[in-house]
Amino acid sequence: MALLEVTDLATHFFTREGVVRAVDGISFSVERGETLGIVGESGCGKSVTALSIMGLIPRPPAKIVSGSVVFDGDDLVELPEKQLEDLRGREIAMIFQDPMTCLNPTLTIGTQITETIRRHYDVSKQDARKKAIELLEEVQIPRASERLGDYPHRFSGGMRQRVMIAIALSCDPKLLIADEPTTALDVTVQAAVLDLLDDLRRSHDMAMIIITHDMGVVAEAADDILVMYAGQVVEHAPVLELFDHPEHPYTEALLGALPQLEGEGIRAGRLTAIPGRPPDLINPPAACRFAPRCPYANENDSCATVMPELREIRKEHWVRSAHPMSEHAGSLRGTEVPA
Amino acid sequence: MVINPREATRPPLVEEERTLQSGAAGAPLRQSNLWRDAWGRYVRNKAAVLAGGIFVVLVLFCVVWPIFSPYDPNAVDFALKSQAPSLSHPFGTDNFGRDMMTRTALGGRVSMGIGFGATLAILLIGVAYGSISGFVGGRLDNGMMRVLDTLYGLPYLPFAIIILAIFGNASFWTMVVALSVASWFTSARIVRGQIITLKENDYVRAAKAVGARWYRVLGRHLLPNTLGVLIIAIFLELPGVILGEAFLSFIGLGISPPDASWGQMANDGRTVYRTSPHIIAVPSMAIATLILCANFIADGLRDALDPRTRET
Repeated sequence: MALLEVTDLATHFFTREGVVRAVDGISFSVERGETLGIVGESGCGKSVTALSIMGLIPRPPAKIVSGSVVFDGDDLVELPEKQLEDLRGREIAMIFQDPMTCLNPTLTIGTQITETIRRHYDVSKQDARKKAIELLEEVQIPRASERLGDYPHRFSGGMRQRVMIAIALSCDPKLLIADEPTTALDVTVQAAVLDLLDDLRRSHDMAMIIITHDMGVVAEAADDILVMYAGQVVEHAPVLELFDHPEHPYTEALLGALPQLEGEGIRAGRLTAIPGRPPDLINPPAACRFAPRCPYANENDSCATVMPELREIRKEHWVRSAHPMSEHAGSLRGTEVPA
Repeated sequence: MVINPREATRPPLVEEERTLQSGAAGAPLRQSNLWRDAWGRYVRNKAAVLAGGIFVVLVLFCVVWPIFSPYDPNAVDFALKSQAPSLSHPFGTDNFGRDMMTRTALGGRVSMGIGFGATLAILLIGVAYGSISGFVGGRLDNGMMRVLDTLYGLPYLPFAIIILAIFGNASFWTMVVALSVASWFTSARIVRGQIITLKENDYVRAAKAVGARWYRVLGRHLLPNTLGVLIIAIFLELPGVILGEAFLSFIGLGISPPDASWGQMANDGRTVYRTSPHIIAVPSMAIATLILCANFIADGLRDALDPRTRET
């Protein structure tokens, strides 16, 4: 059985304007020691998915309206808050996007690490301190024992993210959720932090969920990739399969929007943007949510009136589209669109 | 390029750190911290420094003088009745021939003791009420704030008088209760506002993500960040409370003679203000000085601890 099994999860925000279906029935699973990448543009529900797993969605206005999140045999949606608190940090840890704001400026980083350790383990202050030094060394912070007494403002962005990782790893969680862990960092630091995360995942034998809007990030780190659009899973495949044979027009467009350093084949040349905007998630139409932006869809298609089902087009390759790429054999982008 | 001659003779940086810090924060620079920065900003405000100095002198006078004073503060001697200030009695004597200087110091102990006691009580109630309201949020917050709106209408002095009437006698503790029971509303609002802004911080979410329980989030991540505001609030509340105490004593509801408080001493001088004006003037000036100092200190602290509000 998989470590984490999310089934038909739906998290809605009940706002004055109406019900926002931020996450609308997504399913996936993460095996022990495996890395899942969740990609999608801003507002597609990536972070809400992560927060729903952790039980940290702001209630109200948000509410998990259906589905289950089974972690190691327990359904986290049903679990009482007290047990969930014990689980957070100990079994599932999470790191956030902006390391500049995720550390409390009024506490030394030593305090912030040892507090987490002492929250979950019954150890003395000295032992917690020793463990904190080990952790800081593990995330490659030089002069770890001296820096324990420093306040966060004395660390750079990359260093703070390392500290956040150290805190997240302090209790050896089985699953680490990294919500855009490198977005706020510059490119060279990004690479270093990603390498570090991957090394630590191996050495700590954790599973990991990396949430990002950067295809480059998941290409390096993930085993499986889940592409989300407007609160739904639109494509789910192993990483190589997805990059070599993207099926959903949205995935294809995302990959087309990536800058390529080495021009090769059809994706050489200018960057392409996806026309239009993601749909409003208040009362979305019962149609394919990507249809208005899809270069292959037109008004007479079934996908303009019926929501396509998520189907397994090849082994382990799931796609939610009426126009998967492999059914346009040999066609180039846009040529199928009738005049 | 300008080369500092002292720079050149420095030992390698790492070595120097080793020698300078014995295992503490490994910092080549002098560590700037909140309180040092705040102190730097505070001393730049001359009025606040002066007020702080006077305040300290006044407190020391009240604490120390009665110990060294050659006079018994309660020894009645009608031969010395209502003497004007002189070398042997710098503040003069009162209607009963008691040394005013000693009595002012003793009265200051009572007035300031009640003042600080009531201020602390106000802040404690305010912090408790405000932090629960702000932290829990939602319907509870709404309800608690509407209750506060209703209570806001209570006039504080008449309320204090009623409380004292209920207790029947005025002692230190009943005065503290009477003065704090209807004046903690503002501090509760301040704390609630702070907590509501602070709890949206990412580090609060990050703390929850590693399993921090609610009391830890509140006690470790939220309340310490309101400390600056609370310190300012102490000096903002103090004048009102001291004035309230003086007023209650002046109208005869304060602590009972022969114990003195400034308001009560002023009351003693009320009937003889034509013949011996110093009897009412000395305690009144003490009250005025204390309140003025507290206001200037609050002003300086606000600039020091919350520099963003300085411009406005």
